[in-house]
Amino acid sequence: MADSLAYFLMSWTDLSLLTLTAVGTFAGIYIGAIPGLSVTMAVSILISFTFAWDVNDALALMVGVFCGGVYGGSRTAILLNIPGAPSAVATSFDGYPLAQQGEAGQAIGLSTVMSVIGGLLGVLVLASTAPVLSEFALQFAPRDYFLIAVLGLLLVGSLAAESLSRGIFAASLGAVIGLVGMDPVTAEGRFTMGSMQLLGGIHYVVVMIGLFGVAEAFFQLHQLNVKPVRQNVEKIIPSLNLVLKFLPLSIRTSIIGVIVGALPGTGGDIASLFAYDHAKRSVKNPSKPFGKGAYEGLVAPESANNAAVGGAFVPMLTLGMPGDAVTAVMIGALVIHGLNPGPMLMVTTPHIFWFVVGALVLANIFLLIFGLMGIKLFAKVVELPKAILIPLILVLCVVGSYSLNNSMTEVYWMLGFGIAGYFLKIFGFQMGPIILGVILGPLMDNSYRQAMASVGDSLPAFLTELITNPLSIVLTIAIVLLLLSNFPLKRMIRGSKNAS
Amino acid sequence: MMKNILATLVVSTGTLALAASAFADYPERNIEGIIQWGAGGATDNVARSLTPHVEEALGTSIVLTNRPGGTGVIGMNTVLTKPANGYTVLYGAENPQLYPIMGLADFTYDDMTPINVIGQGLVVIAAPADKEWANFGDLLDEAQANPGTLRMGGTGAGGLPSTVLAMINSVDELDVRNVTFGGDGPGITAMLGGHIDFMPLSLAAAQEHIASGRLKGLAILTKESIEELPDVPPITESLPQIESYLPWGPFWAVAVREDTPNDIVKTLSDAYEQGVANEQFQQFLSENGAQSLNLQGEEAEQFLNRWQSVTAWALEKAGSAKVSPEEVGIPKP
Repeated sequence: MADSLAYFLMSWTDLSLLTLTAVGTFAGIYIGAIPGLSVTMAVSILISFTFAWDVNDALALMVGVFCGGVYGGSRTAILLNIPGAPSAVATSFDGYPLAQQGEAGQAIGLSTVMSVIGGLLGVLVLASTAPVLSEFALQFAPRDYFLIAVLGLLLVGSLAAESLSRGIFAASLGAVIGLVGMDPVTAEGRFTMGSMQLLGGIHYVVVMIGLFGVAEAFFQLHQLNVKPVRQNVEKIIPSLNLVLKFLPLSIRTSIIGVIVGALPGTGGDIASLFAYDHAKRSVKNPSKPFGKGAYEGLVAPESANNAAVGGAFVPMLTLGMPGDAVTAVMIGALVIHGLNPGPMLMVTTPHIFWFVVGALVLANIFLLIFGLMGIKLFAKVVELPKAILIPLILVLCVVGSYSLNNSMTEVYWMLGFGIAGYFLKIFGFQMGPIILGVILGPLMDNSYRQAMASVGDSLPAFLTELITNPLSIVLTIAIVLLLLSNFPLKRMIRGSKNAS
Repeated sequence: MMKNILATLVVSTGTLALAASAFADYPERNIEGIIQWGAGGATDNVARSLTPHVEEALGTSIVLTNRPGGTGVIGMNTVLTKPANGYTVLYGAENPQLYPIMGLADFTYDDMTPINVIGQGLVVIAAPADKEWANFGDLLDEAQANPGTLRMGGTGAGGLPSTVLAMINSVDELDVRNVTFGGDGPGITAMLGGHIDFMPLSLAAAQEHIASGRLKGLAILTKESIEELPDVPPITESLPQIESYLPWGPFWAVAVREDTPNDIVKTLSDAYEQGVANEQFQQFLSENGAQSLNLQGEEAEQFLNRWQSVTAWALEKAGSAKVSPEEVGIPKP
């Protein structure tokens, strides 16, 4: 116990570790804020960079970048309607409307505090129940991942603001985009039209930058002459009352975040969309309508995606299995530093676990400090003349997509999606459902085929498993309830009465 | 007019100077290292552990970039489209040797100049610890008693598990359900949860789980048992006919474009030889269940050809090759 505490406090008491965590968090915020500069990429670069360092130094820096980066994605989502990372997509739904109403400062302030609350709750779960939670996560069979993907696709009802049919179209389009590339089972090209470049698929961040960044920049050209909204930069730090008011929602969505984050194969991007949907369903009287600047719509995804960070470390530290793309890279880093990430990690090197927990808590504290610093300056970004802002956005989009793979192919794709997204926007399509499809399409495809292969490609056997396995039953019931709640049953009954 | 001539002169002298210096002191700038698999995987780990030692020998930086996708086709294609000047090197795994017979691409390592075949990974057939099988023979018996019911974790056509399955099927019969995962990691996760019954894995990925007692090794793909896992029997104990394919395993190699000048190939080969021989890197390989090979030049080419012919014909014999090795000119072993 005393040992654990010593390892926990290691990054707090050692000046160089403290500085590295701080630097990592600060850098992470800005890496996360730029669409296309991803945390995964930053951590991969750090592996080579920190090769000769002590493993604790390297971990402190990476943990900082991870925490800062997941939070940073919300910055540009709120200010420019361009999520810096897929996990901040849901943040833009209500964050950007707030910025347009002159409340960018308050929105960033609130999202910072909620991110930190979510982040700390995630670490708390990691520290207290990691072994139990990872055993629970192992119980998820391929069919359960399939059910989660189906459940996720049903969120389209929440994300498609006005027209459900347009939302379904957009999600299907997204799913097709997500399926481009080599078929994981047969190694045949799918929708690749013979192009070798397409065998690797279309990077979903490219789709996101195009649809949100470029399309948004083009769309704002319509409002060149509209005077930017003056930003109110008073009281940017949310009052205790406000925080307490949203605390229950924040806790609920953090739990969603940490569980989805702990499942290998799903991460903060899916968690934040689930959380947004949960907020929309459970909050009866939001501060403003959802999609028009509801604080609740900001609180939910921001708590969830930061809680997912703690969740992602659960399978990594207990089993040596990645919880998401970033922890996959961090496992590589541990291997290179001569550690053996696996189920024995906590037995042979218990200090790694407590060191990471300590560094995560520390990074969240730095997140609060750095996040609340400079908001006034940032909020002014929205007040920039469009003639300066729009070219700036486009430059960021090009840099971001080029740096994904250091290749122009991604830039062309990004521009293509930008133009397509512009026209889709004009015809009233939402961008959220497309991203939903891109993320969930491949998950649904893989898990369905895994589940079917497991039962010898027998549909009756597959369906029987859905209603005989306890975990699958729960998920199946959730899907049925969600479907029923979308049908206006009461109105239908009343309608039939009136008719008779 | 005078201006034009002057300009031409300046440009051509400049070009000459550049050309001369390119031969004189390679490398004079950073080298780009393209890794054909994603960050955090086995190939990535090998590349990132090896590169600092090579940089030391070479006296320049090697900037590593992951270009994953299409079983490594994308990364290899990227290197093939860059100039053959030694400033772009490929960090690859064994997959390119099977591209033609899987119908993925018409290039292999034959279309490149190997700089170094770094090492070869060992393969272990693993199962959840609560299975009753003591060795691979027991698994084979159960599979033959109930054909098509056991669930094997795979990583798709051309992946390591399918290749091992094909090798087994070319000498015996193992009819299983092949459940495809995105890699060793997701496959092991599914196995820990009891969602699949067994999976052929690289030793690097499996050994920690076997050591912890959650998975057990049924057989190791060697002729003799190995130091790291003394309790796991060699596969030849249960399946002696497979011996002709052994030793077999995934490998990692560094290669450049075929028409790269000889002295540049020589400089790179020497630097990588030193890098692989580095004590720290050797320790990394042995800790990760891999055997060091450190092959250059002709030896490297021989290794690559033998691996290709053994594997491709095993796949053909088991009916898993999409294009016959004969058609693409791969000789029989």
